[in-house]
Amino acid sequence: MRKTYFITIILLVISCGSGCGVIVRGKNFRPFDENTLTQVTPGKTTASEVTELFGPPSQMVKLSNGNAYVYERSVDKATGLWLVIISFGNYDTQYDRIVFFINEDDVVTHYGSTFKSGTASYGMPF
Amino acid sequence: MAALLNQGQHLMGCHSNKIIRILMIMFIGQLMGGCVSLQIAKFNDGADVPPPPDEFIAGKTSLQEVLSFYGAPTEIVPMKGLFALHYRRTLYRGANISIGIPLGDVWKLSPNWDARGNLSRYDTVVFVFTTEGLLNDWKYEKGTSRPLWNTFWK
Repeated sequence: MRKTYFITIILLVISCGSGCGVIVRGKNFRPFDENTLTQVTPGKTTASEVTELFGPPSQMVKLSNGNAYVYERSVDKATGLWLVIISFGNYDTQYDRIVFFINEDDVVTHYGSTFKSGTASYGMPF
Repeated sequence: MAALLNQGQHLMGCHSNKIIRILMIMFIGQLMGGCVSLQIAKFNDGADVPPPPDEFIAGKTSLQEVLSFYGAPTEIVPMKGLFALHYRRTLYRGANISIGIPLGDVWKLSPNWDARGNLSRYDTVVFVFTTEGLLNDWKYEKGTSRPLWNTFWK
């Protein structure tokens, strides 16, 4: 009788657990390097040196006293699980960003950076 | 002897009933697979946005201090004589329940009922700077700490 129960439970688990899963990884790549930031000195580095080191920016913002160059890339990870009647989807997008503030003399005055793309993770939506 | 046999038959009957119930659940589960579906989704966009420290004071804090604490912003917004740095994290949660009876092959009508709901909440902080790079104003909101259900129905 126990064997019958065991088989029935296995069948139940297989029946309810039949489905599929998927993991997806996407990357919006820009070839800039975190370590290159050590070559940037506010008050000295020029806008052309920035583009030489980091390439063309993802975005340029015109400010009243200069410009801001924005470099951005991202990693997204998705997890999907389809069971018989329930499906779960989880998406996580994280970014690497560098922003340079450039004054009217084309010199970098400030910069800020965030490197979080490595923290994008797979998971469930709860 | 007869009593023992009766007891044995009773026990067998109980077990059979339980197995039949489990098989029924499996059968209904298989049938419902085509009729009922529930989808739950979560989207996270961006990293955590912590609240600004107490040291951030309008008129004193510099652009460099904010950049050192928060890193690069999600968005830079030019304003009239000022500019703003916007840091944002978006958390989306959605659910969809669908109940339908697929009778298309035998009957023209296939009744179907769908209910969908989604809620996006934002952790966001905006810093407004003067052209000299001094903090002029800031606002912070931790939307993800708001309760999901109550916020949705509010």
